[in-house]
Parts: sequence; C-alpha cells; structure tokens
Amino acid sequence: MSQLGKIADAVDAYNAHVATEVARARTDAAFAAGLRARWARIRETVDWTVSPTGTPLPRLALPQTDDPAVIAEFLLGQGLPGEFPYATAAYREMYLDREVNTGEEPMRLFAGLGLAEDTNARFHYLGTHQKSLRLSTAFDGPTLYGLDSDHEGVLGKVGEGGVAIDTVEDMTRLFAGFDLTRKDASVSMTMNAPAPMILAMFIAAAQRRFGPGCVAKLRGTIQADMLKEVQAQNEVIFPIDASLRFLGDMIEWCVPNMPKWYPVSISGYHIAEAGATPVQQAAFTLSNGFTYAGLLQARGADVNEFGPRLSFFLDCGLDVEYLVLGRVCRRLWAIGMRDVFGAGPKAQILKLHTQTSGRSLIAAEFQNNLTRTAVELMLAYLNYTNSCHSNSADEPFTTPTEKYATLASHAQSIIMEESGVFKHTMNLFGGAPGLLLLEKQVEKAILEVFREMDTLGGVLAAQEQRYQRSKIQEAGHAYEKQIYAGARPIIGLNKYRSGEPMPSVPLARTSPKKQRLQVARLRAFRQKHAKQSPAALQRLENVARAGGNVFAELIDTVEVCSLGQITACLTDVVGKFRPMV
Amino acid sequence: MAAAHPRPPLRILTAVPLCDGHDSAVTTINIELARHGLEVIYLGYHQSAAAIVRAAIQEDVNVVGLSSYNGGHLVFFKAVVDQLKMRGGGDIPVFGGGGGTITPADERVMRRQGTDRIFFAGTPLDDIMAVIQRDYARVAKPDRKFKGDRALARAITLAESGYPRSKLPAPRSTKVAGHPAFVVGVAGPGGAGKSTLIDELTSRFLRKNPAGRIALLANDPSHPGSGGAILGDRVSAIYSQDDRVFFRSLATRGSLTGLSAAAPAAIKILKNSGAFDLILVESVGVGQESDPFRIYGKGPPLVDATLFVLAPHYGGRIQLQKIALLTGADLVALNKCDHPMAHTARAEIQARLDQNGRGQQLHPTTAAQHFDPGVDALYAALASLSSSHLRPPASRPGSGGAA
Repeated sequence: MSQLGKIADAVDAYNAHVATEVARARTDAAFAAGLRARWARIRETVDWTVSPTGTPLPRLALPQTDDPAVIAEFLLGQGLPGEFPYATAAYREMYLDREVNTGEEPMRLFAGLGLAEDTNARFHYLGTHQKSLRLSTAFDGPTLYGLDSDHEGVLGKVGEGGVAIDTVEDMTRLFAGFDLTRKDASVSMTMNAPAPMILAMFIAAAQRRFGPGCVAKLRGTIQADMLKEVQAQNEVIFPIDASLRFLGDMIEWCVPNMPKWYPVSISGYHIAEAGATPVQQAAFTLSNGFTYAGLLQARGADVNEFGPRLSFFLDCGLDVEYLVLGRVCRRLWAIGMRDVFGAGPKAQILKLHTQTSGRSLIAAEFQNNLTRTAVELMLAYLNYTNSCHSNSADEPFTTPTEKYATLASHAQSIIMEESGVFKHTMNLFGGAPGLLLLEKQVEKAILEVFREMDTLGGVLAAQEQRYQRSKIQEAGHAYEKQIYAGARPIIGLNKYRSGEPMPSVPLARTSPKKQRLQVARLRAFRQKHAKQSPAALQRLENVARAGGNVFAELIDTVEVCSLGQITACLTDVVGKFRPMV
Repeated sequence: MAAAHPRPPLRILTAVPLCDGHDSAVTTINIELARHGLEVIYLGYHQSAAAIVRAAIQEDVNVVGLSSYNGGHLVFFKAVVDQLKMRGGGDIPVFGGGGGTITPADERVMRRQGTDRIFFAGTPLDDIMAVIQRDYARVAKPDRKFKGDRALARAITLAESGYPRSKLPAPRSTKVAGHPAFVVGVAGPGGAGKSTLIDELTSRFLRKNPAGRIALLANDPSHPGSGGAILGDRVSAIYSQDDRVFFRSLATRGSLTGLSAAAPAAIKILKNSGAFDLILVESVGVGQESDPFRIYGKGPPLVDATLFVLAPHYGGRIQLQKIALLTGADLVALNKCDHPMAHTARAEIQARLDQNGRGQQLHPTTAAQHFDPGVDALYAALASLSSSHLRPPASRPGSGGAA
C-alpha cells in the first residue's frame, strides 16, 4: 500500500473514532459529564460584541446545545477554530475586527507586467489600498521557463502576462522602495521550475540592499510546486527527479535560514484551471502535499520543522463543492499529517491561499465577471482562507488594468470591511446541516480518488501513468461540453445574451521598445560578468554533479549569471523534461 | 490518380506557442478534430516558431492551428507565417485561437500579417470543426516547386493518399549522406516506451554524427470509427526537434499490418533521397501477430534490421513464447528496467532468446532516465550493425550527383 492508501485508512479510522466517541457520549455518563464541563468552560471564554445596529453577538458561534453527543461531534468532527481537525478554521480569530488588530488583512493581489520597474510601479499603486505590505508577483513566460529574454523566438513574450526577470539586477529593481525586512511585509512569487534560481536572486538582491543579516527577516512564499506543473500547468524544465531534488535542496536550505518563508505553495489552482473538478483539485493537491512531506522525510528532514512551512493554494469557482472545499482539505491534511506522518499541532495546519477562478471569467459581457468574482470571494471566505486574491474582470483579455485591479481589491474590502458577515463573529455558518452533508460527500469522493491512485502505486506512479493529466483533461472536456450543450449556464455566453459586442478595453501590453530595453540590460549584465560567469557555472555544475545542495550554491551563482545561463548549465547536468501528452 | 480514391483525411498540426503551457483548450480541440475524422499531429506546448514550421513542413499538413493564451501572439503568429514562407511552406495556412486574449483589434493586425483566421472566445466547437473542414481540405498534388524536406514530405503524402507508386515523385537530396541509409524497424507492444527509446537513440545519433541526418517514421493507429487520429509522438520527442531530423507521422488508415500501407513507399522515398544516414521506422504497438516489417512478402524485407522493444509487464514466460519478433529481431531491448519486475524479466527474455540459437543479447534500457548507459550500449550495438551492413563500402544506391 502506498502512503496515500495509509492516509485514506487513517481518515476512515479517525471518522470511526469520532463515531465511537459520539456513541460513548450518549451511553457513558461520566464521559458525558466531562464533555459538558469542558463545553461550559469553552462557552465562558467566548467574549461578546455588539453589531453596529445594536445586536449583541458572541465572538464565536458554537452549536447551541448541551447534548454531549452533539458536543462530541463538533469538537472531534469539526474542531474549535485553531484546533484539530481544523475543519472550522486554522486559527482562533481569523477575520474578527479587534480594537487592536494584530492580524493582517487577507487580501493579496497578484501583479506583474512589463519590466521590473513597471511592476514595481504597480506594487506601489496597489500598496496604497493596503495596510500591510503584500507583494504578489507574476512572471512572464520566458522567466517561467527559465529562459533569458534574448533566447531565440521569445522576444514577443517578454513582459507579457507578467514581469521579465533575467538577472539579480532586475530583481533589485522589482522591489525598489519597499522595506522587505518590515514585520508586515510579505512577498509571494508565482514561480515554479526556476524557483530555486529566482529565490536565489531575491535573496541576493535583498542582501545587496539590507545586508547579509536580512535573510532571516524575509517573509513570503514561492510556489515551487513541480508536481502540479507536471500534472497540469506544464512549466517544467528538468526531468521530474531532478526537479524534485532541486526543490528539496531549496526547502532544506530555507527551513533553517528563512524562518518566515514558505518555500513551497502546494497548488490546486492550476489543476482546477486546467479542467479538474473541485474534488479532483482537492484530491490531487492534498496528495501532492503528502508526497512532498514523504520526500522531505525520506531526505531526513523533521516533519515538525518542515511541516509548518508548507502552504497551500486553491482555486475557488462557482460549483457547489466550493462551499466546503477549504474546510475538507484542512481536515484531511491534519489527520494525514498527525496520524501518518506523526506531525505535531503546528505541522498539522493547512495554511490556505485562495484565488477566485480565472476560468469562470469570460470575455463576453465581461462586466458580469465582477459578480462572479464577488460570489467566489464569499465562498473562499466562508472557508476561512488565510489569504485571498480576487481576479480582475478584464482578465479574459489582458493583464489587469488599474481600474479593474482596483475594483477587484475593493470587492474584498466590501465583503470584509463594509459587510458584517465576517468581522463580528467567527463560524457563523459552520455546522449547518447542508454544509455538513456536503463536507461528508466531498470528503468521501476525495478518499475515493486517493484509493484509486493508491492502486496505481501512489502519486508519482500514477503521474507516470498520466492518471492525473487524463482525469483533468477529461473533466475539462466535459466542462466545455456542458457549456456548449447549455447544461452549464454561463450568463452572457450561452444564456441571457444581450448581444453586446466584444468590449474594447485598454490593454496592458509591453511595447517592443521595452522588450528591447530588457534584452539590452541582460546583455550588458552578461558582458559585465563575462570573466566571472564561467567559473561560477563550473562551481554550480560541480555541486550539482556531486549531489550537493544546489540552492546554497545558486545564491552565489546569480550574482554573476543570468537565469538562462543557469538553466542551460543545469540542463547539461540533469537533462530535459520529457513532456507528456 | 488521387481523385479515384476516397478523399484522404485532412492533416492538421496543432501546438501551443513558446513559453505557454496552456494546453487545456488545444487538447479538447484535438479530441474533437480526431472525432471529426482529421489526422491531428500534435506538437505540444511551449513550442518555438521554428519547431512548428519544421513540423508543418515535414508533416506536409493542410493547416496549422495555434492555441495561444499568454500573450505575445502578434509577434509569434507573424514569426510562424514568415518562417513558413521562408522555408517553402508558404501555402500552409495558419489559424489560431486564444480565448479572450486575442482581441478583434489584434485579429485585424494578425490577418494583415498573414494569419488566416482567429477563432474568438465562445465560438462553438462544432462551428470551428465545420470551418476547418470547409476551408482547409485541399487535396495534395505534386508540386515541382517543393524542395528539400517539403518535397520528401509531399511525396509521402501522395503515397498516403494512394497515388500510384510508379507516378510518385522521387525527390533527391542535394546534400547526400555519402552512403545508403541504414533502415531499422522498431516494434514492440504499446506502452513499452518505443517512442522515448527512439528519441534517446536519436539524441545519440545527433551527438555522434555532427553532420548526419536521421529520418523517423512513426506509425500510429487511426480511429476505426471516425478515421481520424491523434498523432502525438512528436510531443515527447524532445531531441528529435532538430533540423537534422526528418520526422513524419503516419496514421494507419485502416491498415492492420502495424504500419501504414504507405510505409513501404515512404521508406523508399526517404532511402532513395540519399539524405539520410539512418532511418528508424516505428510500428504501432504490436507483439504476437508477426513481423510488420516482413509481411510484404516477396521482395527483400522493408528494413535492414529490426529492434524489438518490450517492457517488464509482458505477462509471463508463456507469453514470450508467442512473440514472433523475439525470434527474428536483430536487437532486443527490455525497456523500463527501473521497474521492480525487470530483474525476472531480463532472465526470462534472455532464456527465450537463447532458444533461437542466434546469439541475441538482450539490452536492458531505461529510456526515461536521461543519459541511461543501457541506451548508450543499445546505440553502440545499432551503430555497429549499421557499419557492418555498409561493409564492404557500397556504392550509392542509384543516386548520382552529390559530393
């Protein structure tokens, strides 16, 4: 049996345990009395507030019951916020508006366009809408594939859909003017195959500005999820083994040296965008997470050290399963980590970033996208996501323009600040009969996928047999068919069409002049370091061939080598990824 | 003449541009195209304009369809159209789609620059299919203007559409290899990793023969119902994306022999062109039937040597007895040797080969592993077969002219 089979069994065993305890609460008087006493203490500690219209409300909504069976069901089956199995929430208070608010707003907006200075300007613009400093970076195609901006045939892609980063100097420009060592600063980077190179550039750039002592203060996330790349997003450079090894090197380096950094964000977003159903998204993402945990353990890492540094990223669309997807994922992760990996509490918590669904947005009558995103945001927050990105309505045709990026960010503020749904009371919805039913059904379906992959030999074996890819493609194909057949209504596309012509909105595109400027900068960098770069690449190659930690070496390599030079060097050592259909 | 035969399937090349991994739309479209009876040569995502143009020419397709989702389409489509013209494929139209990322204003620019058509977001799949079948179904005819790979590719297309063999063009390369091509048939059950192994052998050929050229003929089954096919071997052939590789996909179009009925003619065209040192012909997944490279009866076999590839899950010793090709193959490779069953498999297959009394040695390989020494050894064995085949130095077959 693969690890995944053991995890599915552990969940079944935990559910059986909950059922036993609930039955015991009904029959064992002493146990029932203990539960009631604990319940009374919990209720006493909940403080109260008053809504702006005068209604007194507790800060935490609990089942209104004294029935020990119901109490046991809630405490063990769902858990108090911040307690095992974390279905309710990862932490105790989440979005509550306290007089002294120590938390940060969950809003995190993704930006990346043109050259480093253009994205930097967008960061400064978006920053005016945020209390804390949260910079989330999108990279252009060449950067995502580890290519330099002057690689043959990529010029038109430079700065399109994200920022072009070739060198440590670009990285310095990208974050100019921001104090990255601030306590409330946090940087996230949507970067996968070349994540080790890009994070090394980030560290090197930060050291140039803030000195060598700054590294431990850097806070943020890099995506670096190579399994989902192989399964769905297709940005893979090196063979799978080598990709996982480089990732392992990076995580191993980050755990002791960057205590505030999340070196991997295990992502279902791209799996869902490529076509997966919500259940498939959750099943593949969780199983990928467990695979990383297994690989790190096999390298000798301690689950309680690396566990808290794994983070998750899910898509939130409009399908009904999204009402509970985050809750179910937290619960399954906690049980698997505790009961199969032996993780302590901090390593059991699934920390979740959510993004509203890009696939659900369409070009036709695109202003409807504002509503779609608002509904998805609501679903994401109902799942107590730890952070959230809302898509801009103009995304079907362009990198978000300022107008729609602002509207997207305001949508979050309207839900979280204007509306009273989340700020007065935790857990207003958890435990509703419909949600419980949905959670049970979704959990069951996820476990079925786990067991199917288990029979194929686990996640990596299933991946080699292209199980995840074919499931995702099948689901994507079915989704398109549903749209064309009208079984899946899309307003303005296959239902209630107004016949409005395609909108003409200003597009954020990178001019050829800027693209040429990027190439000129890159060439100047390579020229400047032409003497040192061969030796630096040779050192990197030696470390890679000897099986040493490539990441530690990369922090030096990026000082004198461009992204493309490094990619070419490592490709010589480990070979190229062979794509699957 | 061609008109006497049923209209051959429309051949289309689909791909996603460089630095773009969005393949969800294109895979849906590929399935629909094949369902509508088209032969789809899918090149994959993250493909350069040069690779797309090379494939379009070698595959001699009716049309190229590109699915672009992360920008840069104005530059990219123009590069494809321009390079097609430059390399003798200017008659091959290019269409594209990109959801909402390609705007009507972009489309006007792209059409001016030579892109034939853009399908906008929301175009029903059925409409896309109808337009493609209506506008791109040209029947291939001989064209004297075609040179180099395009001339070879067109000759193969004509052979595929049932052109009489005596009337097939016989293009000759201006740059001749200097000796006849060595032709190797590669067969084995589906899933044994033939395509990957061929690509790894190709990478070794390219490294060891800095001026050499290699041709690959990949036979894949047509769908028995629709007559369409998804010919996806190019996707994972990462080392075969090189101008020194001529790669052609052949759909079987109802042939039950493991090869397209046009394969013998295609082999002859490639061989007689004088352009290649080595030709590898991959059959569809076969095992027990017979030798796909010998069934054409009378004359000499189609190939100079055969390579049989199998993986450890062949189902036991009794099954091995039934595999005719294990008796006749010049080279036998057990691929996927990282599989736990490989140890037993090696012993069983070697015992089976020993029965033949021909001194056949099993080559254990793990083609999925880059730089696998087993593949190195297999390549060395193939190269030595090739050079003993060429000894004593043979005069060039029928060709004159070249240096």
